[in-house]
Amino acid sequence: MLANPVGLASGTFGYGSEYESLVDVDSIGALYTKAVTIENRPGNRAPRIVETPSGMLNSIGLANPGVEAFIADKLPELRKRRCAIIVNVAGSTEGEYLEVVRRIEKAAGPRTAGGTGVDGYEINVSCPNVRHGGLAFGTDPIQIERLTRSLRGETERPLIVKLTPNVADIGSIAVAAEAGGADAVSCINTLVGMVIDVDACKTSLAMGTGGLSGPAVRPVGVACCYKANRAVKIPVIGLGGISCAQDALQYLLAGARAVQVGTGTFVDPSCVSKVLAGIESWMEARGVARVEDIAARLRSV
Amino acid sequence: MIVPVKQFEARIIDNRPIAPSWRELILSWDEGAGVPTPGQFLTLRVSPYSDPLLRRPFAFSGFASTINETLRASIIYQIRGKGTHLLSELAPGGSVDAIGPLGKGFPLPEADEESILAGGGIGLGPLLYFAKALAAAGRKNVLVLGVRSASLLPSIELPAGAILCTDDGSSGFRGTPVDWISRNVSGKAHIYGCGSAPMLASLSRLAGEKSWKASLSAEQWMACGVGACMGCALPKSDGAGYMRACADGPVFDSTEINWGV
Repeated sequence: MLANPVGLASGTFGYGSEYESLVDVDSIGALYTKAVTIENRPGNRAPRIVETPSGMLNSIGLANPGVEAFIADKLPELRKRRCAIIVNVAGSTEGEYLEVVRRIEKAAGPRTAGGTGVDGYEINVSCPNVRHGGLAFGTDPIQIERLTRSLRGETERPLIVKLTPNVADIGSIAVAAEAGGADAVSCINTLVGMVIDVDACKTSLAMGTGGLSGPAVRPVGVACCYKANRAVKIPVIGLGGISCAQDALQYLLAGARAVQVGTGTFVDPSCVSKVLAGIESWMEARGVARVEDIAARLRSV
Repeated sequence: MIVPVKQFEARIIDNRPIAPSWRELILSWDEGAGVPTPGQFLTLRVSPYSDPLLRRPFAFSGFASTINETLRASIIYQIRGKGTHLLSELAPGGSVDAIGPLGKGFPLPEADEESILAGGGIGLGPLLYFAKALAAAGRKNVLVLGVRSASLLPSIELPAGAILCTDDGSSGFRGTPVDWISRNVSGKAHIYGCGSAPMLASLSRLAGEKSWKASLSAEQWMACGVGACMGCALPKSDGAGYMRACADGPVFDSTEINWGV
């Protein structure tokens, strides 16, 4: 389904047009859209971001125009893309997730080889920045399995469940997604974090906590991918702190079959094409024919 | 006119101190990025490493297209934290990863409006470029610069007729640019402002009282700088959601935003 293993992570690339003159979107493997919810969401109070050592916290709050505006305004543009479009879906109840997918299915029509603007869904059960839903689903295997199974009944398109690292055992969550009928899992979403401004005696983010991303979270993401991949048979997609091929290769060696670049695009929009080129030259130098064969090269110490 | 946004390596021509903790950075590049509107900005990657991670936004304080198609831009900045400290260490002869021009700049005044450019501290930057553009278009304008004290005045060429304000009265007018404007401007004015959040709030209030138009350049932390991440949100004045400082601004009509205070 993917032309290449490098995608652009949800929430970091809008719906594709914002980076138009900076990133050749058609050259990437997949564009994961900003989360789509049932209603328009203005997002959280500002400040929403703060920089941290080798990372950043965000508390955007799933700001998006809602599913109807997505269908009317964004989907026509997405249909013109040559890369795979994975629509990220979020909700605060099971019913909301189902309704968003239902409406997009109706608008996009049946699954074909391409050109419908929707090549799959990434189910966001791991956003740390909303009070209801999100993370509450993502930390409970029973809810994950039930939600995934319900969504499975709504679409024949690939379903990717995006997992949170804010759990004791990510393997059991991945197993639940697999049992519910997911085609893949992606990990990781952001880690819950907080920064306090000691001069002002206030949290730097208006909402207090936010989600940590960037190079700081990479070791956590690689470990989560490694664990998730050992727990399930479905493919694992790795993300968290990838900004160069070496970073992506850590995920691929840990068992991921594809990767996403997120915060790295903020820092250097050109990095995504370098990640792909670097993976290809690493594979060529080592005689590895397929991306899915990379993980076999991981040796025990 | 849509100006293409590009990512490019900008050559560092100069990076000189112009006041205690202030510097002027002069950059040059050959082609690609278009001519910025005053008020637009660049983001610079100040370090190739991951800490500090994010690009830093800086408004153009000057721009010129010189002979042999070389483009030359300047920014002025204040050394405030790790990012600007690293920026201050970049030496002429080197280069820096730049993206721009970004955002929406200052709108031109109506024919019957007097242009008053109010800069608070390092907020002077985009107004210097705008003053030049207005003068080139034959539009009169007055630049009003406020700093805390005379010792902080930058050694940089200001437009003719610029008004200096100091909080302590050590040079020029004693008080803020807002104080000066409220006492000295009486006709139909268009206020252009860049400075601290409290100053923008005061300018917005003053413009409202006098029924003047005000175009204010907001400051907010940014991650992407291109309108994708929704991180640099500013609350709308009508309470119905947020504007993005990077893509909807950084220059806003004062009535669009809840400036707080």
